[in-house]
Amino acid sequence: MLLVLAVPARAATFFVIVAGLGGEPDYEQRFTAAANDLDRIFKSANPSAQVATLTGAQATAAQLKARLAAIGGNARPDDDFVLILIGHGSYDGQDYKFNLVGPDMTAAEIGSLCDHIPTRRQLIVDTTSASGGAVSALQRPGRAVIAATKSGTEKNATVFARFWVEAFQDPDADTDKSGSVSAMEAFTYAARKAAAFYESQKRLATEHAVFNDSGRGEPVRDPGAGQGMLLSSFTLLRLDASQQTMNDPAKRALLEKKESLEQKIDTLKYQKAAMDPADYKKQLTEALVELARVQGELEK
Amino acid sequence: MNRALLLLTIALPPAIAASAATPSECWSLRKLGHADQAQSCFEALTRSRQAFERAEGFWGLEQWDQANAQFRLATGQPDSSPMVKVRWGRLLHVRFNDSDAAGLFREALDKDPANAQTYIGLALVSADRFEGKAAFYLAKAAELDPKSAEPHELLADLALENDERATAAVEADKALALSPDAFDAMAIHAALELLADRSPDAWCDKIRAINPGFGEGYARIARQLEMHYRYEDAVTWYRKAVEADPRLWSAHSALGIDLMRLGQEAEPRRELELSYNNGYRDAATVNSLRLLDSYKNFDTIRAGNTILKLDKSEAALLQPYLQSELRLILATYQQKYKMTLPAPVQVEVYPNHEDFAVRTMGMPGLGALGVTFGEVVAMDSPSAHPPGDFNWGSTLWHEMSHVFILTATNHRVPRWFTEGLAVHEEGAHAAEWRDRLTPEVMAAIRDKKLLPVARLDRGFVFPEYPAQVIVSYFQAGSMCDFIAEKWDEPKLLDMVHSYAKLLPTTDVIQQNLSLPPEEFDKQYQSWIGQKYAAESAHFDEWRDKLKALVAASKQKQYDAVLAQGQAVIALYPEYVDHFSAYELMADADQAKGDTASEMSILAAYQHAGGASPDLLKRLASLQQKAGKPSDALATLSRVLYIYPVHDEDLHRRLGDLLLAQNQPDAAIREYRALVASNPVDKAGAEYDLAQAYFKANDKDKAQESVLAALEIAPGYRPAQKLLLQLQQPQANPKP
Repeated sequence: MLLVLAVPARAATFFVIVAGLGGEPDYEQRFTAAANDLDRIFKSANPSAQVATLTGAQATAAQLKARLAAIGGNARPDDDFVLILIGHGSYDGQDYKFNLVGPDMTAAEIGSLCDHIPTRRQLIVDTTSASGGAVSALQRPGRAVIAATKSGTEKNATVFARFWVEAFQDPDADTDKSGSVSAMEAFTYAARKAAAFYESQKRLATEHAVFNDSGRGEPVRDPGAGQGMLLSSFTLLRLDASQQTMNDPAKRALLEKKESLEQKIDTLKYQKAAMDPADYKKQLTEALVELARVQGELEK
Repeated sequence: MNRALLLLTIALPPAIAASAATPSECWSLRKLGHADQAQSCFEALTRSRQAFERAEGFWGLEQWDQANAQFRLATGQPDSSPMVKVRWGRLLHVRFNDSDAAGLFREALDKDPANAQTYIGLALVSADRFEGKAAFYLAKAAELDPKSAEPHELLADLALENDERATAAVEADKALALSPDAFDAMAIHAALELLADRSPDAWCDKIRAINPGFGEGYARIARQLEMHYRYEDAVTWYRKAVEADPRLWSAHSALGIDLMRLGQEAEPRRELELSYNNGYRDAATVNSLRLLDSYKNFDTIRAGNTILKLDKSEAALLQPYLQSELRLILATYQQKYKMTLPAPVQVEVYPNHEDFAVRTMGMPGLGALGVTFGEVVAMDSPSAHPPGDFNWGSTLWHEMSHVFILTATNHRVPRWFTEGLAVHEEGAHAAEWRDRLTPEVMAAIRDKKLLPVARLDRGFVFPEYPAQVIVSYFQAGSMCDFIAEKWDEPKLLDMVHSYAKLLPTTDVIQQNLSLPPEEFDKQYQSWIGQKYAAESAHFDEWRDKLKALVAASKQKQYDAVLAQGQAVIALYPEYVDHFSAYELMADADQAKGDTASEMSILAAYQHAGGASPDLLKRLASLQQKAGKPSDALATLSRVLYIYPVHDEDLHRRLGDLLLAQNQPDAAIREYRALVASNPVDKAGAEYDLAQAYFKANDKDKAQESVLAALEIAPGYRPAQKLLLQLQQPQANPKP
């Protein structure tokens, strides 16, 4: 079971969004629109977020290197760093390449540039075709990597990016109703919507999104077995500003009670399989009712 | 066509006839029921110096691989007769390899164009593939070998499959005149008697008198009963076949498949496994066994006089819709057809179209969407098709019409009438479900390819051009529409009763409509011609104008699209498929921000039978924005019949609309469907459901659902508030 970690407010989040080479007007338009949507969403949700977006002629290796180098100079360990790649990718059995205007960049080159960014927590979301071929070169402890395809051999254009963007526009993505969308929630949303897309079109799915956020082992499709902790705690978008008010010292006791109840509920859920169903239901109901009352007090 | 070995007079060059007994003699012994002597005869053949004879010997001993190897050897010899290839082809045909069999027949034909047996081989392959050329090949065989009974037996079989009973009787008689022990001709006569509800005993006695163990004859009868939708009777005769010849594995397999059609599982498995374990492993047997294995993934839900068999992955979602529709259908048809079904009706719904095809035919690749076997209906699930390609509601109404008509006539109804009535019923229930005029149908009307009513069954069973089955459905349905329009609806029920009395179509038309079939055809052709005269005359013009409209739309020339769109629609209003003028105009309206026109054209699209869920949902959104929630509700409810799966948004919107209109019970159904859709936002779905239960005053279920929501998302504030509200002893929903 994954326990969502309580995350203290972070100094800043650095976003770099790249819409790579489309090759055709349709793709060009689609990639640019997705990148611009994300740019707008992250900026409007958090005015202090530092968002750099490269589209069209700007989407070159030189520009990307320059942006990453700049962040490397500005970011602090407590900051978060997010790189989102949209477009086409290729994989030759050895190297993954992200298609840019001019020379492409390999996964190893991108990973190396990100290594120079001092943030302890990083997220790289590669939504391109063949992106599964990039995961092993990008992954490392402290960095979560999401790829739209399970391997480098899934080479068809992907739809993952479309649903990754949608995850920050659809309140349903906030599945735990915490008022924010974590990277895990966005990943789950986009992966499921992409799968449903192929199912509804009666087409063989040519992409299967995966992630690795432990820096070890193979990428996975579902959280568990040591994977998913970092993504679950990596908040990308806050929908509900009221979360901020929870830090009011006057309500500290209530907050502690609330946290204690939440932990109790998590523990109960963890033990559910081993418990008598009636007893589980009784204890869960009591805890949830109590939590609801505490929450009400907090809001007064 | 029956795959059994047929008695052959194998005329071979003297050079290759080397052993004491000939293959013909061995086969003759077997046919006449001298099993031990036949066995010895075939064993002797395997010791022949001639590869061809050894092949026949191994074939007779059912040692298929050796027989195949010996045929290969025999055909490799420089002086090999074309007849060897023909016999090898026949072996491959009975061992389920029609592709190579056809190749061998064609090679033999190149060497000897006057070989009647070659044409018989080609006919067997063609008939199995329902290609429509079998009769031609058999006529050719009869012409080349006028003394052979076999082509006439096969022609009789073919004619009866096509319900041409008089022809079948004539051909069977020709065969018997040429050969007094033409068992298959006797079997055809027996089948003819059974189809006419007379005793087949006289013919069966004749077969039994010569060979009591000739199970093939009973299997042939069973096959004909099956072709005439008399599945229960077919089972009876397949049982007789395996009783007479317990080693007739093809009949064991066919029995198993027929029992599956009747909704059984245990006995079909036994029969199919018996067949499979004894080497009879044709595609139908293997596919059916695989399908039986997959039944563990199905839930069986019994309620009243209905049984639903649904894939576990979508049972919770589909069950309420199917059950409610079934109840409505039963009530409607009971009143309309003035009868009740004698047993519960079973509806099986397959999310994988190929499973449905195997369920139906034993083979994948079936074009149909639903099939009825007595009181059992098998059909595709909406999830088996892309959104917009399939309407489960109209399919269910169609198939259930078959259930009633087959029951009312005791399965004595020709294909054209039961299909026509079923198509007619779809349109009678919902105007947008009526069979639409497709370009293929329009071409058939224009090119005068519609069949006379007396021969319309052929269009279903042996199509002569690719679209003929689709055209035949349309024709049969429109004939019933024509009858209902000109003579009134009850006349159709009178015709059902006439078929129940075993009257042939010619008499049914004459007695009920008081005109000869030829005159009926004339009047129908005139009616349909007039009805679609404009569309047919302007078909090419419509196609050209639609192309221009698509081009204008792609170039964003929206004014041009709007200016010309209505004229394109007027030329062919029923065209609602991809890139229809309705859709292009709606897009143009949207681009110009004219929501009122967009709503209006999408409403016209809906009334014309448009079935794209995306377009219909777009219409519903416009209706909601225009303050017409009832219209939006009606539009979204239509989408439920098209694609209720993989669409959380549809169920949520419907639930919200229903709840807002104070219909909590219906809202509960939608929110339950939302929960069953396994949505991304499970907590939200459970909360919505809890609210609907609360509004319906079902507090226990409301609490259950709100707890489910909070179990997923403990901090979900609206759910917390509802939970606290439910804790109050006097909690009541807001009116």
